[in-house]
Amino acid sequence: MRTRYKPYILLIPVTIVLLGIFLSGISIGLLQSLGYFPAVGLRQMTLKYYKEILADPGFLASLRFSLYTAFISSVLAVIMGVLLAYSILQSKQKKGIEELVYKLPIIVPHTVAVILVYNIFSQSGLLSRFLFHLGFINEPTQFASVLFNRNGFGIIFAYLWKEIPFVAMIVYTVLGNMNDKLSETALNLGASQKQVFWHVQLPLIMPSIVSAFIIIFAFSFGAFEVPFLLGPTYPQALPVKAYIEYTQPDLLNRPYAMAINMVLIFMVIVFIGICHKIFRIFYQYDGSKE
Amino acid sequence: MKRIKKSGYTLLMNTIIFILGFPLIVLVIWSFTKRWPWPCMFPKAFGIRSFQYMISPGSNTLQVLIGSIWLSIVVTLITLLISIPAARALGIYHFKGKKLFKMAILAPIIVPPVATGMGIHVAFIKMGLVNTFMGVVLVHLIPCLPYGVRILTNTFEITGKSMEMQAKVLGASGLQAFFYITLPLIAPGLMAASSLVFIVSFSQYFLTFLIGGGNVITFSMMMFPYIQSGDRMMASAYSLVFVLTIFVLLIVMEKIVKRYYKTHNHFYI
Repeated sequence: MRTRYKPYILLIPVTIVLLGIFLSGISIGLLQSLGYFPAVGLRQMTLKYYKEILADPGFLASLRFSLYTAFISSVLAVIMGVLLAYSILQSKQKKGIEELVYKLPIIVPHTVAVILVYNIFSQSGLLSRFLFHLGFINEPTQFASVLFNRNGFGIIFAYLWKEIPFVAMIVYTVLGNMNDKLSETALNLGASQKQVFWHVQLPLIMPSIVSAFIIIFAFSFGAFEVPFLLGPTYPQALPVKAYIEYTQPDLLNRPYAMAINMVLIFMVIVFIGICHKIFRIFYQYDGSKE
Repeated sequence: MKRIKKSGYTLLMNTIIFILGFPLIVLVIWSFTKRWPWPCMFPKAFGIRSFQYMISPGSNTLQVLIGSIWLSIVVTLITLLISIPAARALGIYHFKGKKLFKMAILAPIIVPPVATGMGIHVAFIKMGLVNTFMGVVLVHLIPCLPYGVRILTNTFEITGKSMEMQAKVLGASGLQAFFYITLPLIAPGLMAASSLVFIVSFSQYFLTFLIGGGNVITFSMMMFPYIQSGDRMMASAYSLVFVLTIFVLLIVMEKIVKRYYKTHNHFYI
């Protein structure tokens, strides 16, 4: 009798924190985005704020920019991360270095990743100096600006630096613990190394790749620091735009900030839904092996 | 043929590792630089001015660093206290709604902290938690809990509860079984969880700055203006101290746990 309720009792503290801070934070945001903000006298529920931001070209540019930087950086990070994990496994040496490669980017926060990118790619950074010595440019201003640019390269580079090792770590753990017998059997039956990778190993690491992809996409789509420090003045990434609306002295602007936040959450949920759909199609195709 | 392929992978691995590692070397060089004008590829003069500034009493850096470590230790301890029972429930028991709980606990990783932070800000103002140490600790729990619960759940799934049951059969009380059997068994998981939770809390910028309101200043916040203004020497030096602090703490923690294991191991095996 007691054991029936025990797991629920053990989950009480975490539930209190999640409901009390996380869920109530989101709910308050949702209410404010719908125009319910009694502190400043707004009590009428309305969709006005959503309609306005969705019709605002600045907002749409921000949404596109956030989707673009998050998507490109996550896709590249997944590809390079899988390559890194696979090449470490194939070369099978220098076990020390690989561990350092995993650990460092976890220890180094995004703000530091920004300064790493800044040191190399700013107009007076190392790359521009290097190009000077090669004779391509004569002044720092001639260096095409990579940072603070609408192409978002600076943001993408900073995320890549953090995320490639993250993906590699996850994939390497799965690849390393994978039963070699499957690959060996395939090789024995005449499969090439390439075929083994595409038809045996990749389907097995796919679930981890998908979850890593979801995590890094959601993070880079919703994070504030990197686009705030390396992004252009227009278009701003969505979280930056939300924060700027939020800090407007006029409290009547708050609902706009909250509406942007709700769009952020909504987009992430839609994105996860799409990922799972695609993943399921992929898995059905390869699932016949089970 | 096979050897060529293997060296190809080694080359690829080394290239990617170099691309990731090179900026870190540049960071270290910048933090010990005195003068490094464009277009020199190497600094004109080295110095430790940035570090001298940090230890000068006027800069407050050491104080903030210690305060930051303390804050993140408190966050880590509270996170563990909440995560251990939750992870035990999710890792050992079967019950209705388990999947839902698992998803709900991971949700803060997916939902942008900007959205949660701004929403809870108003409520924290009303409760007087804004600009306080406690408020910052509470809001740090949100990004930290998913990692704590996730890692410890995996640990409990592996260890199971058979050992604890044996202890109980042999007459140990619930508390004894927990402290003498379960805790040593999950120690590696605890270490992994606390390292990661500490790092997540220590690296937090946005939530600290929103809820702390400039009253609770952490090391992450202290180095932010230097990065923002593109002061490469100071930003690099602060970053170096930041990374080294975590590194040293992780090593110290590993040593402590290992020592604990060495002296206590023979009691359990």
